[in-house]
Amino acid sequence: MKKLISLVLALVMLAGVAAVGEGFAASYDITVWVAEEIKELTAQQIEAFNSSNQYGIKFNATIEAVSEAVAADNMVNDVEAGGDIFCFPQDQFARLVKAGALSKLGVAASEKVTAENAAGVVAAAKSGDSLYAYPLTADNGYFLFYDKSVIPEEDIDSLEALIADCEAAQKYFAFEMQTSSWYLASFFFGTGCVSEWTTDDAGTFISVRDTFNSPEGLIAVKGMEKLVKSPFHLSSSKADSFESNAAVVVTGIWDYELAKQILGDNLGVSDLPSFTVDGEEYHIGSFNGCKLMGVKPSNDAYRQAALHFLAQYLTGEECQMQRFNAKSWGPSNLVAQASEEVQANPGLAALLKQAPYSVPQGQIHGSWWGIAQVIADDVKLATDEAGLQAALDNYQAKIEELFTLDNTALLFVGAWNGWNNADTDKTYYLASKGDGTYALTFDVPESGYMGGRVVNPGSWDTDKGFAQVTEGADLIQDLGADNPDNNIVFAAPGNYTITWDGEAFSIVKN
Amino acid sequence: MKRYSDLEYLRLSKLQKFLYRLESFFCSIPVAVWHTIKKLGLAIWSFIKGIGLGIAEVVTTFKNGSKPTRLSYVIMGAGCFAHGQILRGILFLLFEIVFIFYMVTTGAYWLSMLPSLGKLGPTKDYNVILDVYTTHYHDNSFKILLYGVLTIFFIIAFIYTWWVNIRQSKTAEQILASGKKLKSGRDDLRSLVDDSFHKTLLALPMTGILVFTVMPIVFMMLVAFTNYDGAHNGYSNNLFHWVGLDNFNTMLSWTSNTSSGAQSYAATFGEVLTWTLIWAFFATFTNYFLGMMVAMAINKKGIRFKKGWRTILVMTIAIPQFISLLYVSKMFAKNGLINNFLIDMKWIDTALPFFEKASWARVTVILINIWIGIPYLMLTATGILMNIPQDLYESARIDGASGWQQYSKITLPYMLFVTGPYLLTQFTGNMNNFNVIFLLTGGAPNNPAASNSAGTVGYTDLLITWLYKITMGAESQYYLASVVGIMVFVVVALITLVAYSLLPSIKNEEDFQ
Repeated sequence: MKKLISLVLALVMLAGVAAVGEGFAASYDITVWVAEEIKELTAQQIEAFNSSNQYGIKFNATIEAVSEAVAADNMVNDVEAGGDIFCFPQDQFARLVKAGALSKLGVAASEKVTAENAAGVVAAAKSGDSLYAYPLTADNGYFLFYDKSVIPEEDIDSLEALIADCEAAQKYFAFEMQTSSWYLASFFFGTGCVSEWTTDDAGTFISVRDTFNSPEGLIAVKGMEKLVKSPFHLSSSKADSFESNAAVVVTGIWDYELAKQILGDNLGVSDLPSFTVDGEEYHIGSFNGCKLMGVKPSNDAYRQAALHFLAQYLTGEECQMQRFNAKSWGPSNLVAQASEEVQANPGLAALLKQAPYSVPQGQIHGSWWGIAQVIADDVKLATDEAGLQAALDNYQAKIEELFTLDNTALLFVGAWNGWNNADTDKTYYLASKGDGTYALTFDVPESGYMGGRVVNPGSWDTDKGFAQVTEGADLIQDLGADNPDNNIVFAAPGNYTITWDGEAFSIVKN
Repeated sequence: MKRYSDLEYLRLSKLQKFLYRLESFFCSIPVAVWHTIKKLGLAIWSFIKGIGLGIAEVVTTFKNGSKPTRLSYVIMGAGCFAHGQILRGILFLLFEIVFIFYMVTTGAYWLSMLPSLGKLGPTKDYNVILDVYTTHYHDNSFKILLYGVLTIFFIIAFIYTWWVNIRQSKTAEQILASGKKLKSGRDDLRSLVDDSFHKTLLALPMTGILVFTVMPIVFMMLVAFTNYDGAHNGYSNNLFHWVGLDNFNTMLSWTSNTSSGAQSYAATFGEVLTWTLIWAFFATFTNYFLGMMVAMAINKKGIRFKKGWRTILVMTIAIPQFISLLYVSKMFAKNGLINNFLIDMKWIDTALPFFEKASWARVTVILINIWIGIPYLMLTATGILMNIPQDLYESARIDGASGWQQYSKITLPYMLFVTGPYLLTQFTGNMNNFNVIFLLTGGAPNNPAASNSAGTVGYTDLLITWLYKITMGAESQYYLASVVGIMVFVVVALITLVAYSLLPSIKNEEDFQ
């Protein structure tokens, strides 16, 4: 159905663009916010767009140097006064969508962006099923920078060896633990923990699957403990720490030039090391993020469409390659990523080496960053295993204060609650009876389609429905092939009790 | 407590005297609190009474007044016109016309929207031909609140002017009845630079204070009663609405309410407030006494290069705090200058946790604050110390007073008397000392127990830096920040009012004159 709609729309567009082509031919005064270092390049790129586009659009652009993080804050604080086109790091995405600061992409633009960019990056620009931004880079990841004169080559794969080398040389191991969840999460990803958040189309978070508080999480904090309790651990991710007594710094591609300047030939880069807990080795993971470009909403359709054309151009292959060549910004465009120059860049090579252990950042609740951040402090204060576990319990408690954290909850979503799979009121949650069975008693109101199925909140799984009903099959309709989603469709309205024992349903009419 | 007469007091031993003074100080606190509250209550009561009298006057004037006076109840300035005061009449009438024009064109809209703060949020459209989404903005809660408040201020101003207009008409009648002449427009204008010159001078500053200080404060306070935050910014996503006292409930409740997402902030608030008070106390008094000592040391006879010493100390004022504090915070960092030096000299094996451990960080910020604060106090104290009459010291020396006795009986009381109000402003200033904390530690180290989704809270966070974190945090909880702001105001106001009435400079105003 969706395909069909987009096909129709594409046809309408082909007919439409020819007819309204002249409608664009105008000069638009716009404000563009980009990082200082690509300010001039962007000006040139907009000039190139002005002379090359087929619609006769002319942009009279005021380009302001606003760093990505600041741009996001400014947009959230005052959308009206914001730039028409602005760049931001992906962790600000949901916040911006929620603030109404991003204009949704049209159907054609969405398809083009999805096809041309790396999948993880596209997911970062998506809320629900809607794309709200254009991928700009795909290099927001971190890896190991080290001083070859202090760290022997054979030690770079082991966290313990790195710590020992640093302590022996009285040099610092800089890994930003206390002040950044972005870096801190790496230990958890290393042991296979996840924190996956889902948003709806409006940028609201509807569910989370978080396994930081688990046996794997405990292993992760044991690894972290080795680092943060070392007197030579430094909570920093700045390459200039090399100037003040650091031998190892975990940071990203943006610091490569600076690190090279400071260390010269002594600079080594590699993927993150592994740590050992109870004889098992775990390779430290990482976040793999990107920068995005957004268009501010407005009510003028032509101007808005023209701005989207520009944003699409600025994030296209050509412009991404220009930025890579000028400033080493790692491209998100698949063609650009495959080019020889990109493959040969040493920093990007290290990032690529870390890639198998990295986790696409996706959408994460803004408050998570503050909540997770304190784990490192808790771990540092912990004196025994119970203390470490307390750190994780504290973390989970905070997440639960923020959000209903329930990885195992079951929700009977359907016509009765408007197919709302977030259902924060918990009205249609199956309650545990304590013996491994879950039950819900509820009213099925009279309606055309009295159906629904049991899912984990936030998801749309189809494995708990009609096919799993063993008792009470006479109360529900067998729709056969008309029921592709495995829905339980009641035959008549009324008050029912539905019980799930882990494998099958029994339904009783009250 | 038992009060001693002077004779009885002199008979006490040293310790008993000290205890007596301590006791009487603490006993005077509740009295001072009670006095403050009583004064506040009386002020409010007389304000209400004043309004009541005003209304009564309006009613009696209407009953007894002449026709022009009665007419000026509807048409402002009518009384003035009838009594020949054309200029005043025109001004009153003009004000009424402007007011009615404003109310009809926009004021009524803002006022009518104020109770709901907006009905329709932004709507989205899809333009099929251009394949583009457009957003249409409608009500703007933020503007409604702002202009609503403005309109209310305007209405109050109007009512006051209306009342003045009636009163003037009535007074004019009385003056005419007594056979005197009324002031002409020319007289009025002349009086603006003569006997009413104070009004001319104060008009601009008063308007400025009203528009740029009072109005924003009222506006920000009202935010505490709404749900204005990142997700309800009132314009581009969702409108915000009045929520009554919910936010105060959230801030002051101990139990967290998970189902509604509200959390317990009382614990965090208590913790941050305690540290804020401790900080303000130490930051103020360490600076005060150490600054005074430095000033006295430099002032001492026989000290050479007095100007040189002062210049060195004043250098810290010359460099902007923004630069010096950031630099000092780098110096004390784990891999900063100081730690690296100490390690290089082999005096320590591992870095000292200046900003890493709660107690270390707290002591460190207080110590660094001494370094910034002493020069200011030294400058102030130098001037005051030079002002103390030298004959006091001379006679003290002749009577055989020791250096300490001279200090505690002459210098300190004199200093406290002169700088009492300054100490008070320092204390409140330190409670809101954003610069030092934010630039030095940013609140670090984190306090895991107190942190929540409104933002990470650190051991050195003051209420004011916490407020900053709430505003700038992921959720941009402006309403909560506003609540914190109001609480800070209440705490500061209480301390100031009570301390003010206990100050020697206020209690014994005549002592040193």
